[in-house]
Order: sequence, then structure tokens, then C-alpha cells
Amino acid sequence: MAIDGFEPRIAGFLCNWCSYAGADLAGTSRMSYPSNIRIIRVPCSGRVDPLFVVKAFQQGADGVLVAGCHLGDCHYNEGNFYSRRRFALLAPFLDYLGIQKERFRLEWVSASEGRKFSDVVSSFTSDLKKLGPRSILSPGGRE
Amino acid sequence: MESLDKQIRDKARELLTSGAFACVMGYERATDGKTARPLFAYTPEEAERFVFDQYCTHNLARYLINWRDNKKSVGIVAKPCDTRAINLLINEKQIDRSKLYVIGVACQGIMEVGWGAPTEKLELRCNTCSEPNPVLHDLLVGEFKSESPAAAKAYADVAAIEGKSAEERDGFWQEHFSRCIRCYACRQSCVGCYCQECFVDELDPLWVGIKVAPAENTVWHTIRAFHLAGRCISCNECERVCPVDIPLSLLNRKLEKDGLELFQFQAGMDASVTPPFATFKKGEKLGTGD
Amino acid sequence: MARIGVFVCHCGTNIAGVVSIPAVLEAAKKMPGVVVAADDKYSCSDPGQAHIRAVIEQNKLNRVVIGSCSPRMHEFTFRKVMVKAGLNPYFLEVANIREQVSWVHSNDKEKATAKAIDHVMIAVAKVARDEALFPKRVPLTKRALVIGAGITGIQAALDIASAGHPVTLVEREASIGGHMAQLDKTFPTLDCSACILTPKMVEVAQHPNITLLTYSEVRQVSGFVGNFDVEIVKKARKVDSKKCTGCGVCWLKCPEKVPAEFNEGLGTREAIYVPFPQAVPLVPRVDLENCRYIKYLEYMPGKTPGKRPMQCRICEKLCPVQALDWEQQDEVVKEKFGAIVVATGYKTFDPSVCGEYGGGKLPDVISGLQLERMFNSSGPTGGEVLRPSDGTHPKTVVLVSCVGSRDEQRGRPYCSKICCMYTAKQTILLKEHDPEVQCYVFYIDIRTGGKDYEEFARRAQEEYGALYLRGRISRIYEDGKQLVVLGEDSLMGRPVEIRADMVVLATGVEANEGAAELAQTMKLSHDVYDFLTEAHPKLKPVETQTDGILVAGACVGPKDIPECVAQGGAAAAKVSALFSQEMLTSDPMVASVDNARCIGCLLCVQVCPYKAIDTQVLRNGRTVAVVNESLCRACGLCPAVCRPKAVNLRGFTNQQLLAEVNALWQ
Repeated sequence: MAIDGFEPRIAGFLCNWCSYAGADLAGTSRMSYPSNIRIIRVPCSGRVDPLFVVKAFQQGADGVLVAGCHLGDCHYNEGNFYSRRRFALLAPFLDYLGIQKERFRLEWVSASEGRKFSDVVSSFTSDLKKLGPRSILSPGGRE
Repeated sequence: MESLDKQIRDKARELLTSGAFACVMGYERATDGKTARPLFAYTPEEAERFVFDQYCTHNLARYLINWRDNKKSVGIVAKPCDTRAINLLINEKQIDRSKLYVIGVACQGIMEVGWGAPTEKLELRCNTCSEPNPVLHDLLVGEFKSESPAAAKAYADVAAIEGKSAEERDGFWQEHFSRCIRCYACRQSCVGCYCQECFVDELDPLWVGIKVAPAENTVWHTIRAFHLAGRCISCNECERVCPVDIPLSLLNRKLEKDGLELFQFQAGMDASVTPPFATFKKGEKLGTGD
Repeated sequence: MARIGVFVCHCGTNIAGVVSIPAVLEAAKKMPGVVVAADDKYSCSDPGQAHIRAVIEQNKLNRVVIGSCSPRMHEFTFRKVMVKAGLNPYFLEVANIREQVSWVHSNDKEKATAKAIDHVMIAVAKVARDEALFPKRVPLTKRALVIGAGITGIQAALDIASAGHPVTLVEREASIGGHMAQLDKTFPTLDCSACILTPKMVEVAQHPNITLLTYSEVRQVSGFVGNFDVEIVKKARKVDSKKCTGCGVCWLKCPEKVPAEFNEGLGTREAIYVPFPQAVPLVPRVDLENCRYIKYLEYMPGKTPGKRPMQCRICEKLCPVQALDWEQQDEVVKEKFGAIVVATGYKTFDPSVCGEYGGGKLPDVISGLQLERMFNSSGPTGGEVLRPSDGTHPKTVVLVSCVGSRDEQRGRPYCSKICCMYTAKQTILLKEHDPEVQCYVFYIDIRTGGKDYEEFARRAQEEYGALYLRGRISRIYEDGKQLVVLGEDSLMGRPVEIRADMVVLATGVEANEGAAELAQTMKLSHDVYDFLTEAHPKLKPVETQTDGILVAGACVGPKDIPECVAQGGAAAAKVSALFSQEMLTSDPMVASVDNARCIGCLLCVQVCPYKAIDTQVLRNGRTVAVVNESLCRACGLCPAVCRPKAVNLRGFTNQQLLAEVNALWQ
């Protein structure tokens, strides 16, 4: 059930070579998507320290997206394989701490997938709307 | 069969007499006459004070780092969980195996020693212990056990938390984290926390706010635990020393449990195995980003 | 003290039509450190750039944020403006408010404006933590290594050498020339392969800038662009190439005969041999597996089966210059190179795995390369096309295309590109060798892309009477002295049976043996078929992901001779361009290690995909990580795994990224 008027905040860490370019392509192709995401450019999904994700939640993110090149297509050959391992452990851990696993997404979006980027942001936004705001108890939670 | 104490004393004396060893670490009787405290023996005479029993709770591997750049060797009396800690330090190139003599003790379990008097209750780590034998030793004392009776219920308490709703988990941890006074005793007691400067002490960038507040405490505890992911050897010293009784072991063992399921990896079992974040398999299915 | 200027671009109406520029400017002025906020119709235009410069100078700005299109578009443009305004170009951040804001949120101007403000705020927070960065200059060794001396490698080596740079050309075989030396005539001009190749081979041998290392292999490659350290193994020939005159008396008198690899197993060669008469260098090598004297030396009573062979050494006795050197051992050469061209070529598909073509058991079913050797007047049959079974001239010949190409089941789904054309050529040559020959060609499609190729293939059919049948072959079997070929004519929709004297399989192109291992030595990537991967299939066809290492020719994928020559030349041009610099400039946005923080766990060393992190021992005896800035490609894996935050990535430092996260929502 969606809560009326709730606009989730999404922090997006996009790799420069694939996902950031994919987001640019969504723009070039005028593929509209919800404006809830704020984007931080990183060289590779492998650059994203779990600390940044935890800090983003602390800053009030309702959801965090980390996006990189498809497995095997990493600009740096293997960066996304490492980030996958890291976040495969972080996501259930955050869930365990009370930040539901639906609030964190690791996605592979290539430079040619403007459509996929727009779909990911749309579905993430609508999922977060259903989930509602983070608990007011937790850091970054809202009334 | 000779007593544990005698075997340890004989070996420690021999090591210290050889001249190649700077120190042998073990336990001696505390002033209360019942519990034990660490003993750092530098001379063969001091070695006569070594004891070992169910009150030898400290993980002495914590102190090995102090000898990292020493030219001489060190000896250590190590329980099974402590030997896993030694493996961790070898894997992370913090100690040189060739400059280390491990007197491994097959362990019968350790009794809880809280702030007050000693109890007759086994420590939590022993109730969830999966490896009752030293995984590494130069000399083995005590009786080798064929299996751990506690292994089956190693993660029962973790699973109980997992079974709660997100709201309940959030509430549970916020209640605990809000009590944290950020004394960092958990860090000081931890074998894996040997950074020259911890991220929490760093001022630029300021990862964790200086204010002792639930939001900042949460970041501290999340990252403290995650920095030990694939590294924590479940000695549970952090929880034992916590003055406000935060169940830190529930955090560490959640990560250990998931690490076992996802990467079939348990820290400290074998010093030659690459830790999970330093390797990957192309086709593996991890449930995130597959 | 940071004095930040924010410039917001209208991009005509692209941004201004959706985002409220006054609102963004108003908000920007209140952001920490911002002293001025201004707008431009087009920031990237000449007047826009001039305006930015003027505002920087008037307000003594030291950091700049530009809210405009994606940084992937104009970051470089604006960096140049910074330099012109006298600032370090790395004190600049671009806030993406076009591709990621106005173009995707045109339906809600209010929300688009809010997001644009946030993106500008994130950039302002980051720019405050930017550091001045300076590119490093590193020396380079102007000497190139070319691996593989087929036509591609020969061309590359000649072009680099002619540009005035020393080249070492390494070839695994005993002679240079590669596959082209095996061919008789080449399509579509039918000029003789040797006639156009051998002059180039001789030129290589005589070029003052080329060092030729044949019968040698590259064992190890380390280092980085401009400064590669390479180990090359010169395998023992057992013949002193300085003394040898190539007179040939040794191989003429050698009593041992083994199947000749150069002739694709047709005919024999000796145990001391040159692969073909025009070999460069014309220095024989002793085949250690088959030489009688070597066998005599290696005989171990009780372990080696059979009787001890006789000592032969006839070559040694007859050599007029005493060039035989039984003591010669493999020699390792270590050299420094500035650039490497990989041109290791291909091999052909082995058709013996194909049961339908007789599984390699029918003597008169041969491969296209075997037929080439028969055509050749210095080949095993002296230029006559003869059936291997009885030595007679075949009158009916069936040629089969796509053997090991476009074959999903055998794991070769790709087109080998050259077979259609060489099959057409072979029908013409067969007819020219013997006008009574009738050729049949089974094909899937006839692919003749290339200058004069289609005309050539048509000529094979129209002037030389080759009959083309569209379809695959189901079975070949022997019947008396002939072969019965069962197939299908899919255009007519009926089965075909042809009684043939000989069948020629147009075997496809495969990655060469050891290509994947060599790629791993150099950290190059390869595809599932072991063909090497170029940096970009269209725009960077000879570059690789590793700066300074180039790929050319059929090691990247099937190619014909003109393409190989063009790629060899292209790789040489890239090498020459690299060598035209006196010093190399390295990107300053790389990782660095803070020694005081580093705990020496070396997790970073383990994850670095470029082996760019080494260790060093400090004066106090501690081992810490150290980044080789020339190898670092700035992926940022190392700072992300570093617990004590000792490793940082310039341009994307922890300070910068954390500032961005903290600025996410105000």
C-alpha cells in the first residue's frame, strides 16, 4: 500500500563507463523516469565502499542504487565481480539491522541501456513508495 | 599424562632458554586465586607461573601485533579460537609464521567471567563453537576432540533475529546502539582491529560524527562489523568487554553465517585461503546482482 | 579558502525550458563556499567560455562548478577553460542537469528544478574537496617488440623500422613468413604468394633497425607503456647461426625422415631442416625429437624402450664451417621495449573431428592448405595435384566450404571469412593445372565482400566451370578407388551424390595455439574462441585495454591478407605516434598510498586488476603498499577494500565522495 504523497529519496552510485552513460542515454532518448534519484558518479561499481552506502542511508536515503557494467563487461575487467561480492554480504546485513533488503539495489546497466536505467529507477521508486519511509527510530528515518 | 600446566611451563622454559624468543604469552593465576590473567614471560623463571584452565578467557593473539617488526620469535598459548585469530594475522601478513611458536590447547570450554565473580556458566562463544581443536599448533596439549557439540546451534540466536520483522529488528538494534558510549573497548580487544588509525577516529574525512548519538553509533557498529566480515574468528572478546552489554557477537556471527553460505568461507581456518573480498568466481550465484 | 563559482548553462531551452535557472542560481548563491553564481545561454560556446573566464578572474575564483550537460560531454572543454583562466584544471566539477535532469523530468518542472539544485549542491560539495593534480612525465624506451612474423608482423616491423625505431621481431617457428609462405597463389589477383612475400622477408632480414629472433618465444612481460620488460627464450637450434651459410649439405645428407609440418604432413623433411627453401633466416635447426644423435645421447638403458640408436652426426661431419653445436642451450634474452605489437596469427580447424568428412581417415580427403602445398612447385608434389592414395591426377574434385566455420555444434559459430574466396581460387587453379578437372563446391553462402572479390568468384563459376551447390555434406565414403560424396542441394531441394577423386575441405580459422596463454602473460583479454580482444571493435581495432600493447592480424579474428597488412601498418602507425613523444604524460587521477596509515595487509595488491600495486619496505622495517602510477588505471578497487583508508583515488577521493554523500539532501 502506497503512502499518500510520500516521495522516496534514492541515492544512485553509477559507474562512469556503463551506468552513468546509460543514464545519459536515457536523457538523450528522452525516456522519462521519476525524479527521486540523485546521482553520484564513480569510476567503477568496485569503487563504492560500503561506508558510502551506510552514510547515504544515514543521510536520509530511502533507497540506495549501485549500478555498474554487466558482469564480464567491466571497463576494468573485474571490478564489478568484487563489488558484487561486497554487496551480496552488505545487503542482507543491512536487512538484519532493519534496513529492508528492498531498499538496496545492485544493478548492471550498460551504456546502451537507457531504457533499462529508466525502468530500474521507475520500479525502484514505486517499490520504495510501497515500502514507505524508513522507521523514524533509525538514523536517517523520517516522520 | 602430565598436567597441562607442566607441559606449557616446560615448553615455555625451553623456548625462553634458547635465546631465540623474546617472549612467551600465556596465562597465570589472577589475584583472586580463581580466575586467570595474561602472563608475558620474558625469562625462564617467569615461565614457572603459567597455568591453563577454564578461566583462561583472553584472546592473546591480540598482542601478537606488538611483535610484528621484532627480530626475535614469540611463543603463545592459544585456544582453538585463538589459533584461528593467528591464522587471520598470518593471512593478512601481520605476523611471520616462522617467528612464532604456538602451544595449542584443545579446549574444554571457557567459563564466563563477568565484572563480578566467576560463574560456572560456559561463555557464549563456547556454546556456539564450531572448532574445539587448535587449527594451527607447534605443540598440542590437552585432548583432541572429534567434533564440536555446540556446532549445530552455532547460529540459532542469529536466526532468531532474522525471523523478526524489519520494524522489530530496527527497534532491537536502535535500543542497543543508543546505549553505546563509544568507549571502543570492542575495538581494542579485537584481533582484527589493528589499523594504525581506525576510520572512526579519522577527522578528515569525518566518517562518523563525534557526537555520541544513535545515528552515529549505528554507522560505527555497522562498519566495525563489516570491516570484520570474512575476518572475525568469533572469539567474542568484543562482546565480553562491552560495558553496556551490546550483543556484538550477533552482528559478527550474522556476517560469518552469510559468508559461509555465500562464499563457503570461514575466517582463520586456513591461513593460505584468499579472503572472500579479494577474490571472486565468475559464475557464482550470490543472490545480489546475479 | 575555497572561492567557488557556479555557472548554470541554459543550453538554449534544453535546460532552461524545464529547470528554473533563477531558482538554481538563487539556491547556488547560498551554498557553502560559493561566491558567485552566473548563467550562460551556452556555456560551451566561445562567448560562454569567455564569460566563465571573465567571472573567474573578476571574482578571484579558485574552484568552479558548471551545471550543464553530462561531464562525459564537456568536462574536457571546461578543463581547458580552467587552464586558460590560470587555474588547475582539476578544480572543476560538472553537475549533470541536462541528460540526467531536464531531458528526463520535463513533465514536472518543480521536481526537475529541485533535482538540478541537488546535483549542483553535490558538485559544490565535491569541488570544495578537489585537489590540484599534475600529470607526471615518464621516460620511454623507443624500441618495439613485434610478436609473430607472419605477413602482419612483418609489415608492422618494417613500418616501425622504416620510421627509424629499432624493432625486435620474434617468431616461434624457425623461419618467418607464417601462413602466407605456405600459399601458392593469392586471391583475387592470382599473384604468387612467395613472389610478393619473400622480398618483404628479405627486407626484414636486411633492415638495419630490425633484430630478428626466430625459433624464439616470449616468456614474460611486465611493466607498462613505454617501459615493458620482456623475457624472450631463444630455443636451441644446435646450429651456430653465425657460422652457418645455409649451404644445405646437412639436410641433404640427413638420413632421418619425418612428415613435413610446413607441407601439412604431405611429404617428408629431415631431422635437421629448414621449413622451406626460401626460409629466412636460412639456418637449419635440429629437430630434437627425431635427430638420431640426440636420441643416442638421451638413451637411458632400461628406461627408454628399444635398443640404443647408432650415433649418426653425419651433418656435423659434412658441415664445411663446423656450425653444428651440440652444446647449445636455450638462451633467455631480457630486453626493454616501449611498445609491443601482438601478431600471433591463426591456425586452421582440424577436420579429423568431423565424422561426416571421414574423420581424417580417408587419404583423398585433404584440407585447403594441403592443396595449396600441392599447387606449389617447391611443395611435396613438385607442383602437381595428386591423390595422396595412389599419386594419380584427380579429375572430379569436390570442395567443401564452412568446415569448422558457421558451425554452432562444433563451437565455431563465426564465419572464417577467407574460405569462400580461397575455395573459388582453388577451383580456378585446379582447372588451370588440369583442364579436364571438374570442380563441385558445396557452400552455405558465398561471401565475397572485398574489392574485386565477387567478380573473382563469378569467374570461377562462369569461366572455369566450377559447379556451386548450396548445401551441406552428410557423408563421404570410399567406393573402390573413388570417394562417394552424399550431400544436399538445398536450392533444388534434393539429395546429391557425386563420385569424386578428391575432396578438399575449406577448413576455417581458429585462434593459434598458446594465444590465450600469451594473452594472460600480457594481461590482454580474449574471447571464448581465444581470439584477442581489441580496445574497441570499430574505433580502436588495433589497440588493447593495455596502453602500449597493440594487436594486429588474424590473432584478433579471421582476416585476409590485405586486412592483415593494413592492420600491421595501423599498429606500426600507433607505435610511431607513441614514439614521436620524448616523454609520456600519465593521467594524474590515479591511486596513492598513505604510508603512515597502511597496515600492509596487501588486500589492495590482491584485487588490483592491473598489478599496479607493489610493496615497499619502509626504513622502520614495515612493509607497505605502493602504487605504480604508470600502471594504475584508476578503477578505485583498492580504496574500496582498504579498511584503514590508506589508499585513496585522486579525483574520486574518500573526502570527495563522502562530501557528495553528505550533500545528497539538504
